[in-house]
Amino acid sequence: MSEESAGSTFGGVDTLTDIDAALHELLDRPWICLVWDDPVNLMSYVIFVFKKIFGFSHERANELMLLVHNEGRAVVASGSREEMERYVQSLHEHGLWATLQRDDKI
Amino acid sequence: MSNFERAGNAYSLDLTLDEAHILINLVEQLLELLGEGDFFHHYDTTDPFAALMSMQQEVVAPDDPVLMRLLPNAYADPEAAGDFRRFTESTIRSTKQRILREVRAHLAILVDEDKAGTVADLEADTWLIALNDLRLALSVRLEINEESFDLFESLPDEDPQKSIYAVYYWLGWLQENLLNLL
Repeated sequence: MSEESAGSTFGGVDTLTDIDAALHELLDRPWICLVWDDPVNLMSYVIFVFKKIFGFSHERANELMLLVHNEGRAVVASGSREEMERYVQSLHEHGLWATLQRDDKI
Repeated sequence: MSNFERAGNAYSLDLTLDEAHILINLVEQLLELLGEGDFFHHYDTTDPFAALMSMQQEVVAPDDPVLMRLLPNAYADPEAAGDFRRFTESTIRSTKQRILREVRAHLAILVDEDKAGTVADLEADTWLIALNDLRLALSVRLEINEESFDLFESLPDEDPQKSIYAVYYWLGWLQENLLNLL
């Protein structure tokens, strides 16, 4: 479709295709919250923080803490960007090293 | 050695006067570093009101490595990290300051009376977060890594660094002690 034929184009961009791609990306690739290993935070403290912020069982919190410790990082949550930003803020308030990004495992 | 003790839903901590002094000094230093009452001191603006109201002001990452550890980037992408910082950093700073001020108030009771004693009615979350932030701050200055404990043990007693390591490991011991009581 040429840019001059109007209709579904806006500013030279095919908006329908763009929206479709954006929706596709949004639905298929959620945001993830990562916690990174550091040599300071105590294992028992990381478990405490995971239970408090995410409501995990002790078992689940322990499993994720070990994943962070052994792999250097672990995905602790996934969902909307806003949700992940709130988690990262709370993790920073508790002194854990956390980041968020798009899930790239597609 | 000092211990936390549980009393119902609250906790208490016995401290020597020296220990109370060490803790309150660290808390006050960290409060100062966090910019007590001034959340915008490193913002790239001369007008604090503009910084508060405007979302167009540039917010730069802290240049002090301790602040960078306490207020890390939320995104690998610098632009997204800057946006996150602009919207959340003052909240995270004030949360940390509120917690440290609460701990300071408890410690001040002993320090003001100039005697050892028990600080009571402590909230576990507050103390765990405060002890953790103090440990994070010291860890940056000491460049703590997996081998640090061996280094600490090998340092001669007259090395001035040794006492700072000792404080760092003591804080970890206190934090673990409180976690064990939850």
